[in-house]
Amino acid sequence: MSTRKSLPEPIIRPEFINETIADAHTGDVARELSTIEKIWNINGVRKAVILLGLVAVWQAYTVIMKVEPLMFPTFTSALERLVNDLLQGELIWKIWFSVKVLLMGYGAGMAIAAVLILWGTASRLGGDFIAMATAMFNPLPSIAMLPLAMLWFGLGVGSLVFVLVHAVLWAVALNTHSGFKNVSATLRMIGENYGLKGVPFVVKVLVPAALPSILTGMKVGWAFAWRTLIGAELVFGASAGGGGLGWYIFESSQNIETEGVFAGLFMVILIGITVENLLFRNVELKTVSRWGMQR
Amino acid sequence: MSTLPQAVVRPEFEAGDLSEASHGDAARKLTLWEKLVDLDGVRKLSILVALMLAWEIYTRLSGVSEFILPKFSDTAAALYDALVHDQLLIMIKNSMTVLITGYAIGLAIATLLTTAAIMTRFGSDVLSTLTAMLNPLPAIALLPLALLWFGLGSNSVVFTLLHSVIWPVALNAHTGFMGVSDTQRMVGRNYGLKGVTYVTKLLIPAAFPSILMGLKVGWAYAWRTLIAAELVFGGAIADTASTQSGGLGWFVFSNQMDMQIPYVFAGLFTVILVGVIVESLIFSTIEARTVRRWGMQSS
Repeated sequence: MSTRKSLPEPIIRPEFINETIADAHTGDVARELSTIEKIWNINGVRKAVILLGLVAVWQAYTVIMKVEPLMFPTFTSALERLVNDLLQGELIWKIWFSVKVLLMGYGAGMAIAAVLILWGTASRLGGDFIAMATAMFNPLPSIAMLPLAMLWFGLGVGSLVFVLVHAVLWAVALNTHSGFKNVSATLRMIGENYGLKGVPFVVKVLVPAALPSILTGMKVGWAFAWRTLIGAELVFGASAGGGGLGWYIFESSQNIETEGVFAGLFMVILIGITVENLLFRNVELKTVSRWGMQR
Repeated sequence: MSTLPQAVVRPEFEAGDLSEASHGDAARKLTLWEKLVDLDGVRKLSILVALMLAWEIYTRLSGVSEFILPKFSDTAAALYDALVHDQLLIMIKNSMTVLITGYAIGLAIATLLTTAAIMTRFGSDVLSTLTAMLNPLPAIALLPLALLWFGLGSNSVVFTLLHSVIWPVALNAHTGFMGVSDTQRMVGRNYGLKGVTYVTKLLIPAAFPSILMGLKVGWAYAWRTLIAAELVFGGAIADTASTQSGGLGWFVFSNQMDMQIPYVFAGLFTVILVGVIVESLIFSTIEARTVRRWGMQSS
């Protein structure tokens, strides 16, 4: 440590006396908040106002500037189109198609991930295989597999499901595997002390202990799957039989019915919010938050 | 309330032969083979080689049509050919140019949004409303609109990329900044940090794990969106496109259209390679140099 620099000198500040401390005052903390302030302090109210403001800006812009509705329709016309198509049942049918395919792909992906993970926890070879495969396939956008999938499974639901499986599998396997690896040795030993072995050991000790990572994996898997599905339906929607929500958007844009595009986007946002903020949030509340593993 | 289960009373027993317990041959030297197998890299490499061999042998023995699954050797040859003679390198460059443009502009907008969100409560509400709404919206769904607004071309792709980058980055950065502990903030003020220095020297390092997380998620979404957009876009301009325009997604798509399946696989390999390089090299290096070195995240 011969080259070590000398430490800087401490700064010696001059002494001073603060004269006017007695004059300091705390403002009117006792004042009651006015009703407007109270309402403005509610989170939901502020957010609703922002949302309404955005909608108002959109509507005002399109109406006042007389924007070509083919380029940017008014908010009301987009909403009208959404309600119309929902009532006519056509859109509901397409949503159902998308959701069905999504659930099939998600379910199959989770099942395969579970098998892989069991193999990975049981043997070192399995663990290495998972590490290799996730490192290779996780960065590969699953939509890029679509051309191959169409070759192997033909035009139809089969290809979509294959691509979705690919989107879910690696995200879930990667997160679950690293979650399992990080389960503390103490917890493992307690489990072994209770005589847990094999599958019960995984289900009763490893899964609950690694649930935060598993949930992260499932959320990431959902996000990728949802994006992949919409993308796949946009690209090759017509080929996949009935066609789903992505196909609805694409069809509307091909027919230059821009209100339809916006109606489809509204629906995509709604479904996304429902799954992310209601479904996953509730699962989190009931499990990891309740168990005190995550705030 | 149900009654508690009875305590289990086990019979007494004496373990007799404890002195005979053996440790196994703990002192034995490992053989060369065992040492090799214990190396992580060796095991993973052999898995990779085994997979490739299995692929090659399967395609040779089962006589699978090469339009379904080409031989591994053909794929490797196609990759080499595309890299050297075809325009794969130019396509990679095209893809990366669009990606980096979108990513950089997206980061800039996300920075502005996050700054506004930190400074005022109203900004924070705007950001959280926008992210809650737009983060679940797959960016690729905006491509039809983008094509309408910006026409066929890289502008539309950049627009969708923006959308895929801004929300995850802004969301994660905002949660990161909000989570910086009061103690750290007060230490910073004690040092006399204010304004920009306060942000760069205290808030950003303290929130860096979240920021990096946002950057990674943003990259992952952008990469997926780009490939998807190039697939769609490829279809939209299929009849007019020369192979020189268009990126990696287009390479995969056009080769699939021409039934050049080895080249489709070569394209996928390239996509994997680029992804692995960005995720494992760039982001891992940043992680190792920052959050892991600072002890904020264990490997």
